[in-house]
Amino acid sequence: MDILSHLTPMFFGLIAAGTLIGIIFGAIPGMTATMAVAVCLPLTYAFGLENGIALLLGLYVGGISGGMVPAVLINIPGTPSSITTTFDGYPMAKRGEGERALKIGIVASVFGGLFSAAVLFFFAPVLADFAIKFSYVEKFLIILLALTVIASLCSNMLMGVFSGVLGVWLSLIGTYSITEGGNGETRLMFDFMEYYLIDGFSLLPVLIGIFGLTTVLLDAEKGFKDETGQGPISLKGGAKFKFNVFKGQLLNLVRSSSIGTFVGILPGVGGSAASVLAYSQEKNFSRDSSQMGKGAPQGIVSSESSNNALTGGALVPLLSLGIPGDSTTAILIGAFTLQGIQVGPLFIGNNINTWYLMIIALLAANVLMFGIMYFAIRHIAKVIEVPKYILYPLIIMMCVVGAYAINYGIMFDVWTLLIFGIFGWVAHKIGLETVPLIIGFILGKSAEVYFVKSIESYGNLSIFFTKSPIAMFLWVLIAISLAFAIYLRLRNRRQPTVES
Amino acid sequence: MESQWLSLLDVSIDFDQSHLFFPRIVTWILVILLAMIVITRYRLLVPGLKRAGRVLAGREGEFDHKRFFGTLALTTAYFYLMSVLSDVFPNTGYSFLIMSVVFVFLLSLLYVEHLTRRLFVILVLNALIAPALAWYVLAQLFRITLP
Repeated sequence: MDILSHLTPMFFGLIAAGTLIGIIFGAIPGMTATMAVAVCLPLTYAFGLENGIALLLGLYVGGISGGMVPAVLINIPGTPSSITTTFDGYPMAKRGEGERALKIGIVASVFGGLFSAAVLFFFAPVLADFAIKFSYVEKFLIILLALTVIASLCSNMLMGVFSGVLGVWLSLIGTYSITEGGNGETRLMFDFMEYYLIDGFSLLPVLIGIFGLTTVLLDAEKGFKDETGQGPISLKGGAKFKFNVFKGQLLNLVRSSSIGTFVGILPGVGGSAASVLAYSQEKNFSRDSSQMGKGAPQGIVSSESSNNALTGGALVPLLSLGIPGDSTTAILIGAFTLQGIQVGPLFIGNNINTWYLMIIALLAANVLMFGIMYFAIRHIAKVIEVPKYILYPLIIMMCVVGAYAINYGIMFDVWTLLIFGIFGWVAHKIGLETVPLIIGFILGKSAEVYFVKSIESYGNLSIFFTKSPIAMFLWVLIAISLAFAIYLRLRNRRQPTVES
Repeated sequence: MESQWLSLLDVSIDFDQSHLFFPRIVTWILVILLAMIVITRYRLLVPGLKRAGRVLAGREGEFDHKRFFGTLALTTAYFYLMSVLSDVFPNTGYSFLIMSVVFVFLLSLLYVEHLTRRLFVILVLNALIAPALAWYVLAQLFRITLP
């Protein structure tokens, strides 16, 4: 009954508003679901946890879905996860089937989203129950595994590992907290910095800087040039969408959604990996893939169902282990922290109502996304034309609100936003990987606590290998992820030779 | 024999220095990784740095200096002046409102390629309405702390 009291018009209104804003963000090339969540985060300060989460989940689902609009109409993915939608969506749009392509994508997206919400509902509590038994040793190894998996799937493993460790290092700046068993001393800073950095860098200004301001700087550097060189393709006229296009696509839908959900569960692996993997699997296993890349509906189905399936998948490690599945869920951690809730193995058990409300919000966000996009796609398509000289100044303004309000009015948090906005730009230039860096930053302090407590308790490093069968199993997983990364690297090196 | 080997892995942490124990390990790992990156990529490093210098100096590549450095300068000025002005109007959000109007207008002006009279009016209206709306909704309705 307590849950029902939260299911107010306000709750659903916020999901709808979040979904719509998310779609708009996703539909503008260069702006992502992560940016949508980061920019709108200050709005949640005024709401309670449940309503705040409803808004953020709407933004998340809408942001991922909106990416298909420019992918189909101007051949530029609105979000990285829509990259493979361009392969078939744009050729369809060019031959006058733009609306049909978008509607195929919308239906595939809602299937993927609902599929992953179901997996989240059934799988996260099981994983959380299992994780409750973890001691400090296993908790540290889980973080190590997460960082290894993230780094091993980066385009350059060495840079990925470096970025993750750099994230951990940055998180350690500040005081070794007494509440965590530390001695209350500061580290990794000069004396004059203590006034500002006694508690280290706040998470949300760091995230908002890297995902908000960095994007603006990267576009400013290019001078806001029209990357397409042509306007969007019109949706008027052309072939009509019919649901029978999905005949024979059930296997594709289920396989692609499963891939998307699985990739989402892997920490730090982005939506682009999910859609590329699902697309290539469809190409390899479907009976007829000869038209893929030339405007085949099956390509859009695999791409869009997999990238929307990422949403539920990425919430699994967040809610059961406290490890974000992607950059957007990393910001959700900040939203939870803001409301005084710690995500991890105990989250679902201790916050059962919030857990159910999250599932309802995720389902509702997918259904509302379908309703909004399916019936208003022609209007949404116009969003692509909104000029960035109007949007970007407002985004920086909203970033300021988010950074300043997080600790109830600390100006240094606004400077942190600028510092990390510039840092994100430099990182992009020198090839640092943002996602491992962010996840390293989020998990760094916990890693320290678990590592130090394990040693204080057992006094010997061998405990990390011998503590329990789970610890040994986690080492096996770490070894597999490293071996897989080396295998991928070797295969990628060989491939050009074979092709030539 | 086995316990002798295991004792090699014994570690004790001095509480007074415990705040440096993990950071030192992480710093060393970071240094080693950096060395590995430099060793494996040293051939790309020097030409890369030289090219970056040429791009930033405007001698090579496409880099919009005006918009990039303009964004940095305006953002820095926006934050600094907002901080100064917030001492004049503490806890009201007026500092945010006033500086945001100026900032949004100037940054939009910086980003626009071909300014027409109609566009100028749009930019002025956008700079007046959007920050005022944000200030009203966030500071007045939602009671969110603004500079």
